[in-house]
Amino acid sequence: MTEPAADAGPTGAHASPAADPELFLLLLADARLPVGGHTQSGTLEAALAHGLSPDDVPGYLRARLLGVTRVEAGTAVAARAAVLAGAALADVDAAWAARTVSPALRDASRQQGRALMMVVERLWPAALPPLAGIARPARATVVGAVAAHVGLGAASLARMVAYDDVQTVCAAALKLAPLDPFVVTRWVAAALPAVDEAARAVADVTDPADVPAVAAPQIEAWAQAHAVTSRRLFRA
Amino acid sequence: MPDPAASRTPTQRPLRLGVCGPVGTGKSSLIALLCRELSASWNLAVVTNDIYTDEDARFLRSAGVLEADRIRAVETGACPHTAIRDDISANLMAVEELEHDYTGLDAVLLESGGDNLTATFSPALVDVQIFVLDVAGGGDVARKGGPGIERADLLVVNKTDLAPYVGVDLFRMLADAREARGDRPVVGLSRTDRASIDELIAWLGAVRDHHREGQWVPTDPGPMAPHFHAEDVPHDHRHEHEHPHGHAHGH
Repeated sequence: MTEPAADAGPTGAHASPAADPELFLLLLADARLPVGGHTQSGTLEAALAHGLSPDDVPGYLRARLLGVTRVEAGTAVAARAAVLAGAALADVDAAWAARTVSPALRDASRQQGRALMMVVERLWPAALPPLAGIARPARATVVGAVAAHVGLGAASLARMVAYDDVQTVCAAALKLAPLDPFVVTRWVAAALPAVDEAARAVADVTDPADVPAVAAPQIEAWAQAHAVTSRRLFRA
Repeated sequence: MPDPAASRTPTQRPLRLGVCGPVGTGKSSLIALLCRELSASWNLAVVTNDIYTDEDARFLRSAGVLEADRIRAVETGACPHTAIRDDISANLMAVEELEHDYTGLDAVLLESGGDNLTATFSPALVDVQIFVLDVAGGGDVARKGGPGIERADLLVVNKTDLAPYVGVDLFRMLADAREARGDRPVVGLSRTDRASIDELIAWLGAVRDHHREGQWVPTDPGPMAPHFHAEDVPHDHRHEHEHPHGHAHGH
């Protein structure tokens, strides 16, 4: 639909009265945000296809929170810092790419970044200029730029990225394995201390070089195998 | 709704056509048929949304009607309804990528994953939508109604040649469909019935012409209406309009 572009961001040139940034946190963390969250499994679909048991999902969550999720959250925090400092976002995006070994995961993240860009173009066009020089920014880069625009703090941003990863895996688990939704929600709740720990580990990152470089080779290998299967429910 | 007058400028953008309807009614076959019939004169691309990504795309590729890269599959995470209605982002990206990669497209055809009777496309994703039923799904389905059956731009009742073999009174089923839809078009389609194919192609050609002239405004079939039996409710004929009825109007 063709509604006039409005910029609701509190730092926008025509900003409306600023809402509490924590409300933007809720908006960005909400699965109803139309950014294709339902197309992602956090590589869980491939993991289950290659022998991970559904009972192992809590361990899989912990492994991600110690590894790939810190790359994502750290990148988002660094991107936020770069926008606020007027530094180049491209350096942050390159740091993310260097730490995300699997081409399939890089591609999936850039697709998600594009989906979020569609939201940004329509809701917060004033947040676009720092992203302009990057052809296909990673989701974490775009999320960080949005956080800077709406006034979301680094710790909240890091928590959101880590929490979203847990929910992505768990929501996909319910589609992929015969699990009880209440059990899976307990897994989410049980992972929250590790979410907090991962967020605290990256909340102070400002230099892209300090984004954790913690690849998880098994997850990367699963992601690569998944990208060439012809029977998949989830993009990645 | 947008101001219809604001949309009435000739457009270069390809027509975005959505095809949805329950599993097994022949959505892929319909798209393959359109590709076969139109590919000589239309520049086409296709996005598919099968629950298992590649199934429909492979079917279309194997039909050999379009080069493989013009047929792209979008994963929907087992949420076919979401992917065409409340979170269109993945499909919209696929459509925009095809429009970017192939200049001069006349139309992008978007096939939803098979879903239930309540699923329809967001008008932010497609310009025009076809809802597909088939006679083998039962003669009473058209009577059940729902937003797609009642208010999609076109209702196709597919596989009409099978009616005698599945015990369906085709005449009755088409009459039910027309009753449910008022003056919106219905095509009883069979790949063995040339006249029905011509009727479908003529309808789509008229839609494309309206779209090119900037006269076509996407119409939302809308939410599930409260349950009723179509035969109990007289259709509202206050809106006099010719087919195809691309202009915006409230029902």
